[in-house]
Amino acid sequence: MVPRVAVLFGFGINCDHETKAVFELAGAEAHRIHVNRFISGDSQLEDFDILAVPGGFSFGDHLGSGRLLGNRMRFAMRDALRVFVDAGKPIIGICNGFQVLVKTGLLPGPAAGESPDFVQRGSLGLNDSGRYEDRWVTLEFDPNSPCIWTKGMTRMSCPVRHGEGKYIMPTPQALEALSTTHQLTVRYVDPSTEVGTGLSDTALPYPLSPNGSMRNVAGICDATGLVFGLMPHPEANYARWLHPDHTRGTAPIGKGDALDSWEGEGLQMFRNAVEYVKQNR
Amino acid sequence: MRDVRGDVVRRQLHADHGCNVQRVRSICGYLIQGQTSAEAIAARVDDLFADPIIEHGAANSLFLSTDLFEQIPDMVVTVGFKPGVTDNPGKAATDGYLTLFPEDTEAKISTYTTYAFYGAGDLDPTWLAGTLHNGLIERALVADSAACQAGTWPALDYPTPPEQVFIQPKTIDLECDDETLETISTEGLLALNLEEMHAIQAHYRDEEIRALRIKHGISPDAPTDVELECLAQTWSEHCKHKIFASRIHHVDHETGEDTVIDSLFKTHIMTPTHDMQKDVDWLLSVFHDNSGVIAWDDTWSVCMKAETHNSPSALDPYGGAMTGIVGVNRDILGTGLGARPIANTDVFCFGPPNWEGTLPDNLFHPSRVLRGVHAGVRVGGNESGIPTVNGAIVFDDRYIGKPLVYCGTVGIMPRHLPDGRPSHIKTPVAGDIVYMVGGRVGYDGIHGATFSSLELTEESPSSAVQIGDPITQKKMVDMILEARDEGLISCITDNGAGGLSSSIGEMAEYTNGCEIDLATVPLKQAGLSPWEILVSESQERMTVAVRPADQAAFEALAHLHEVEATPVATFTSTGMFHVRYGEETVAYLPIDFLHDGVPQLQLESEWTPPQQRPFVTPDDADHNELLTSMLQRPNIASKETWVRQYDHEVIAQTAIKPFVGVERDGPGDAGVIAPLHGDPHGLVISCGIAPRYSDIDAGAMAAAAIDEAVRNAVCVGLDVDKMAGLDNFCWPDPIESVKTPDGRFKLAQLVRANRELERVCRAYRLPCVSGKDSMKNDYGSGKEKISIPPTLLFSLFGDHPDVRNSATSDFKDAGDRIYLVGNSQQELGASELSFMMRERNSDNGIGGNVPLLLHPEKNLATYRQLSRTIHQGWVKTSHDCSEGGLAVALAEMCIGGRIGASIDIDGTGNGDLWARLWGESLGRIVVAVKPEHELDFLATMKGHPTTILGEVTASSVLEMVDGETALISSDVNALADAWKGTLDMTGGVA
Repeated sequence: MVPRVAVLFGFGINCDHETKAVFELAGAEAHRIHVNRFISGDSQLEDFDILAVPGGFSFGDHLGSGRLLGNRMRFAMRDALRVFVDAGKPIIGICNGFQVLVKTGLLPGPAAGESPDFVQRGSLGLNDSGRYEDRWVTLEFDPNSPCIWTKGMTRMSCPVRHGEGKYIMPTPQALEALSTTHQLTVRYVDPSTEVGTGLSDTALPYPLSPNGSMRNVAGICDATGLVFGLMPHPEANYARWLHPDHTRGTAPIGKGDALDSWEGEGLQMFRNAVEYVKQNR
Repeated sequence: MRDVRGDVVRRQLHADHGCNVQRVRSICGYLIQGQTSAEAIAARVDDLFADPIIEHGAANSLFLSTDLFEQIPDMVVTVGFKPGVTDNPGKAATDGYLTLFPEDTEAKISTYTTYAFYGAGDLDPTWLAGTLHNGLIERALVADSAACQAGTWPALDYPTPPEQVFIQPKTIDLECDDETLETISTEGLLALNLEEMHAIQAHYRDEEIRALRIKHGISPDAPTDVELECLAQTWSEHCKHKIFASRIHHVDHETGEDTVIDSLFKTHIMTPTHDMQKDVDWLLSVFHDNSGVIAWDDTWSVCMKAETHNSPSALDPYGGAMTGIVGVNRDILGTGLGARPIANTDVFCFGPPNWEGTLPDNLFHPSRVLRGVHAGVRVGGNESGIPTVNGAIVFDDRYIGKPLVYCGTVGIMPRHLPDGRPSHIKTPVAGDIVYMVGGRVGYDGIHGATFSSLELTEESPSSAVQIGDPITQKKMVDMILEARDEGLISCITDNGAGGLSSSIGEMAEYTNGCEIDLATVPLKQAGLSPWEILVSESQERMTVAVRPADQAAFEALAHLHEVEATPVATFTSTGMFHVRYGEETVAYLPIDFLHDGVPQLQLESEWTPPQQRPFVTPDDADHNELLTSMLQRPNIASKETWVRQYDHEVIAQTAIKPFVGVERDGPGDAGVIAPLHGDPHGLVISCGIAPRYSDIDAGAMAAAAIDEAVRNAVCVGLDVDKMAGLDNFCWPDPIESVKTPDGRFKLAQLVRANRELERVCRAYRLPCVSGKDSMKNDYGSGKEKISIPPTLLFSLFGDHPDVRNSATSDFKDAGDRIYLVGNSQQELGASELSFMMRERNSDNGIGGNVPLLLHPEKNLATYRQLSRTIHQGWVKTSHDCSEGGLAVALAEMCIGGRIGASIDIDGTGNGDLWARLWGESLGRIVVAVKPEHELDFLATMKGHPTTILGEVTASSVLEMVDGETALISSDVNALADAWKGTLDMTGGVA
């Protein structure tokens, strides 16, 4: 079977085209679906195997990034989203999509075994620098995370492009709890560390951590590992020719062969979800 | 929890004014007008207005009175919008509010921000407020320390716009003397000259016209206000480019030439392009549409357009620049049957950011203009999801009088739509319904086109300033591209200058007529008069023609995307521009008079070369010190702080980014994108600009700009056999008058620039496919007058066969061999070095030989060979050599690679040491090549000027010698610090 991916767009989401493209390169059938088509019933979320909420500037980030689109989904797509998550179908939110998933309460979500309750538990605040920036960062993944999107991934680089990416939990206990369940899936690391040893709870200086996130968190998953969100843009490193070092001959080669030797490191994340769906249907 | 909004204000006060404030706290305020009770809203505050995790929210109270502000601030400033000004957060809040309270349909929200200052010392609160708001569009209230102690906090009321007075359409009697005619034009901000007023007068004396008008029940012998305003917009310099279309008597005192030029545009821009169109099959659409279109492959075509938004940016840098970028995006959307914007370019010309001299009344400090303009294009581009891939920032004192804000956009479209129609050709027929799509019409944006055709004065109207709304526009773009693919669009254009008057008027030329009903146009507020509705330039609107059979499908799409689309007109074939307000005809103008009735200007041009004190190089100098100082010059210094705040990678296509190298902080020469996902076929986007050469010869300035654009593109791997250009001229007023006594000279500069443009573009086989001019870039008059240096921005877009074989400016590995392609001449006139030396010693001048492009056809042949070496993968390092010459180019390449180089400039040309080290001769590119590819490289470059300079070294030092003479030995990290420091201006991250 070919997994079907719904890539949300509308209201200022703007990474929908490339998000559709990377799922297709990873072997899925992807469709750009306007949010209102789900709300009106024109399209059914249950007809899809994967939901992607791409990056962008939904509603201009006004009143807090992801807030207004999150509200529309929280109120108008509540049941469809709950059914989707309860059915064990993967969801990814990238950048603005991550912000949306956090504001809807799908991330980090309730404790294991519970249905989504749409209660916001964490947040994303303005970068400490006060600036929106586009810069490449180095990421490492928690090898013990239940996240199905990051299985087998160790380190990768890709750009961040945000002004509100500082991940915050309200209390140290709440943050520690996420750490214990390995939901702090992906973090900013110092590229000069040895691969696999970069994860650190101590805040890295700007710009290694571009935003001042608690424990350098770049992305988190829910207790099931199926719902995942991150601020950096893995889809922007789907091909090595998008890597800043490609003219230097040092851009890392991705795991697959979607573009022969020119596959970028980011594509594996999407392939992971596509393969997961194939194996679990 | 950190208050980042407050931190930003604190850092900027430090960076721009040297003020040290201990702490700034911020409050986001929302003023709600609606039917919902305060208690009901209070219960939902954390659902919408405040983040439950990181913010505090409260309803019906000022936070300053609560225990969250136990420590009393030293001063408080509250900033909100003036009535009627676009409030994007307010609009979003209203949308979100309706999600929570769907029954409160008429609710409206306005936003404000309050800043509380602690440890602010003896700052003047009023001065402080002045730095935080622009009085033209915003209002501010302050509480000084006494008011703070007393707990008297500033509270803004809801900004209710005053009632608009509906003015019944009236007629204007033109049967009067010339003086009165001129008064009518001046007082009405019509910007029509006497001859044009006479042409209008004559129209209404025509007996046939009078008879026709009687038949349609409109005043037979005098224009209505609607008609006069419509003609003024359509005939404005902004819309009709009257100077470029004028008949010029040109005298050259150098050569004795005495000649007449009938339209600079037709002679030097259009004809050469049309000649080239005969030789290639990829020039699909040139000049007549909203952007120029070229075929890119068998399936896709690409288009590009650049615009300026100078006058609005001078008055409100943020709003002016934002409307500039989202406006040019609409030009792309309005090309053919609709193209998708995929890349932006931004080029700015400002006064020096560290300016310490006096400022004329009503003008902002250049650093504030820079911040505002940058923020405007950043928000406009980023929120639209269009990457900014290329640009430049240029500084000169004279841009204090008028900043230049060039915004460009590249678009892509399928060559054929699913229904088979070629997408670059509009296909309207009489009977098609004309929709206004997107935003509504408001009082904002009235008289933009005519205003930009006048010089800036203290009385410049605030209604000409607008703030863009990128999200409304993004929704519209999404919707229109879907409508295009479903085959629902027969014609489309942007609502820009001149509003509906221009957009429908221009499209009506296709079918030869239209009938508009202004009473159907949706308004932001009631009470707009018919002429205001017709000419308002309110943003985020497209005009789209749809066949009657497709109306239902079109409207359904608009509904889905929550985009307003209203039928306001019908195309006809009557030959008339017919405007009604309800049943009443308020304008009835022949289409051909509207578009072709404007009389041709007759202008005088006279060239005498300007006298400049010569630039004399010192007898001895410390070239190390000069290099550090040159790298710190704003014109050369790194713009990374600013550029990194643009999203340059959205759409996942940017293969060469604005900054390159190991630390990603070396300069990129040109942008390269691979817009089809999975396909490495690329497109190069570059620009060239050299305004200071105009101080010696505006012709040389134009040639230099074109060559720089081409060089930059060649550096990354352009295919020189498929490139197209855009010419954007910004000039001071070149029409001789009492206000402009040197108009003949300024016009002669324009003539020379155009002649060079034609000569160089023909030699480069580089067709100009679109362009624009802005001809009134002056401030004030008399001795106080500031005129910008004549400035041509040349933008280029061209093919890149495979982005995997590209080159970047950063040096790669020790042992790589470094070559100079091209020769250095004795050309130090108007160089960056000469300007620096003049600033150090006013006895010095900038005169001398300005860089010339004597044999462009030879340059093209060289560029073609160099491109081949890049496409073969032999050359991975190349960098354009321009401002600051070879020394600066090599320093930048070392910075990009964080690696040293050993260089000998002996044999690089005929110039003296100064010319070879610092000169800006055209046609030069520095490349580095791996030793294993050196022979292939040299074989390909055989017969083209290619000189060994040295090699990349396993060190951190840039060493330069001239034969036996040591010149430079500088640590690369120190050079990087110098280059990156000047324009940082962030105040750090602490």
